[in-house]
Amino acid sequence: MKFYLVPILATAIPLFANAYIQFMVNLMLVYVLVTVGFNLVLGNLGQLAFANTALFGIGAYAAAMLMAHAGWPFWAVIVPAGLAGAAAGFLASVSALRGIRVYYLAIITLAFGELLRWLYIHGERATGGTDGLAVPQSSFFGVALDSETARFYVFLVIVTLVVKGISNLMHSRIGRAIVAIRDNELATASLAIPTGRTIVLAFVLSGFVVGVGGAMFALLIGRVIPESFGLIELILHFAMVLVGGFGSLLGSVLGAVALTALPEYFRGFPGLYEMFFGALVIVFLLVQPRGLSALVAHWWPALRDRYYREG
Amino acid sequence: MRARLELEQVSVQFAGLRALSDVSLSARGGEVKALIGPNGAGKTTLFNAISGYVPLARGAIRLDGEPIHGITPHEIAARGVRRTFQNGGLFGELTALENILAGLHARIDAGFAGILFGTRSARAAERAAVIRARALLELLGASHLAERQVKLLSGGQQRIVEIVRAVACDPPLLLLDEPAVGLAPPVRAQLVELIRRLAGEMGIAVLLIEHAVDLVMAVADVVAVFNGGVKIAEGPPSAIRADPVVLEAYLGHA
Repeated sequence: MKFYLVPILATAIPLFANAYIQFMVNLMLVYVLVTVGFNLVLGNLGQLAFANTALFGIGAYAAAMLMAHAGWPFWAVIVPAGLAGAAAGFLASVSALRGIRVYYLAIITLAFGELLRWLYIHGERATGGTDGLAVPQSSFFGVALDSETARFYVFLVIVTLVVKGISNLMHSRIGRAIVAIRDNELATASLAIPTGRTIVLAFVLSGFVVGVGGAMFALLIGRVIPESFGLIELILHFAMVLVGGFGSLLGSVLGAVALTALPEYFRGFPGLYEMFFGALVIVFLLVQPRGLSALVAHWWPALRDRYYREG
Repeated sequence: MRARLELEQVSVQFAGLRALSDVSLSARGGEVKALIGPNGAGKTTLFNAISGYVPLARGAIRLDGEPIHGITPHEIAARGVRRTFQNGGLFGELTALENILAGLHARIDAGFAGILFGTRSARAAERAAVIRARALLELLGASHLAERQVKLLSGGQQRIVEIVRAVACDPPLLLLDEPAVGLAPPVRAQLVELIRRLAGEMGIAVLLIEHAVDLVMAVADVVAVFNGGVKIAEGPPSAIRADPVVLEAYLGHA
């Protein structure tokens, strides 16, 4: 029950927030899923796969196309967007399984992301090309999602459910097997854990979670453009995982919340944002490489990451 | 029923080089068999062949009459062959308890959907595994290590946790690859006692690679001597000690 405390408290946010702040909070919820999914492969499985913007973009485009071209309501596109991301995650896992690892995996997944961007740009009839695709106003089981507050409650429910599911998985034999592969893949197999299948599962789960984030992003921004899913975006995702803490679910949430607001804060000072952002990444790498989650666990040991469930 | 492992004329080749030639060997439940021999004799290769990490060029490996060669390491482990690694095979970031739980993976009866939705039965299965892991650490005298991250443990403690993890699923066969290397004498004595208990109380068939002759003499029921990928002698420790072929090949001028 402890888990639900934060989302329950969060339901009060619209009482205090104006439309702009509410938009930022909604964007934070999008990035919570983006970071949770990325961290699963990067931190827990320990694979240098940088397909995250590809997963995010595929989820966003799948949702946008279904809403814009087929007229589906938002609730109906959430799972398809997740499945589209999961399919892309599966493709990335195939390269990892074929023994393409470390830097080679990093390069091949980066190339995958750029290839998709090329497809978004040149698949004009479906994607709208460089101008992107406008996402129509949508509804959630009859409730119009035409205000930040309405979107907030829908997003909060989605993010709570998805993060709870991932938390359940991480505190089980499945989450343990994923982390075991990161620490020692050969030894993992010696314990009758099917390593290949577990690697595929981690990538597919990651893709699903990030894909759902993509669908929320499409709805929130109201337009998907290829530029949203480039290298700068990938660096932002990576920084969220780093600042939050590799392999930590709590860290993913903290990293996403901490870094979503940052670009907005620096909006009035062009150039300063990039400098601050770069400095932040360096400071974390040097001083706190285990991220905010390690700081929190230091002061509040009950929040330390565990790969089992006590009692 | 106690297990029986049979190796029949097993050969392993690396790029045309013969690492093992026609090795026949058996192991049975309750017995500790030590494999000794100089570096490069093929002992670890033999372990890798049994546990599926290297393919056989020829021969067969059977556990209780069932062939276990030509399948993947995790499938062989699922049949009840568990091992430790010469350089340590623990998951460093995890605690000792979490390592043992990973060893129990195949025993935890919870499917993907059950875990995802946190069903009562999936949670109960996980809880039961935690209880069993704690009991096992207690039984084998390592319960004080449960909550510690294994990368922070001493070398001796790590070896013990790795062995406990390997036997968590009551395997019929256990392969220990140089468990005593670099350990202080009191820890070695503890290790000898632990290995004797695994064979004696749990009825496990233990194959043990070890260089230290005193430890081999203290713990092994049978000793098999390897040199250049060939098994050159096998017998009780006292007989091996006196065997001229062995003295020549391995022990030097005793």
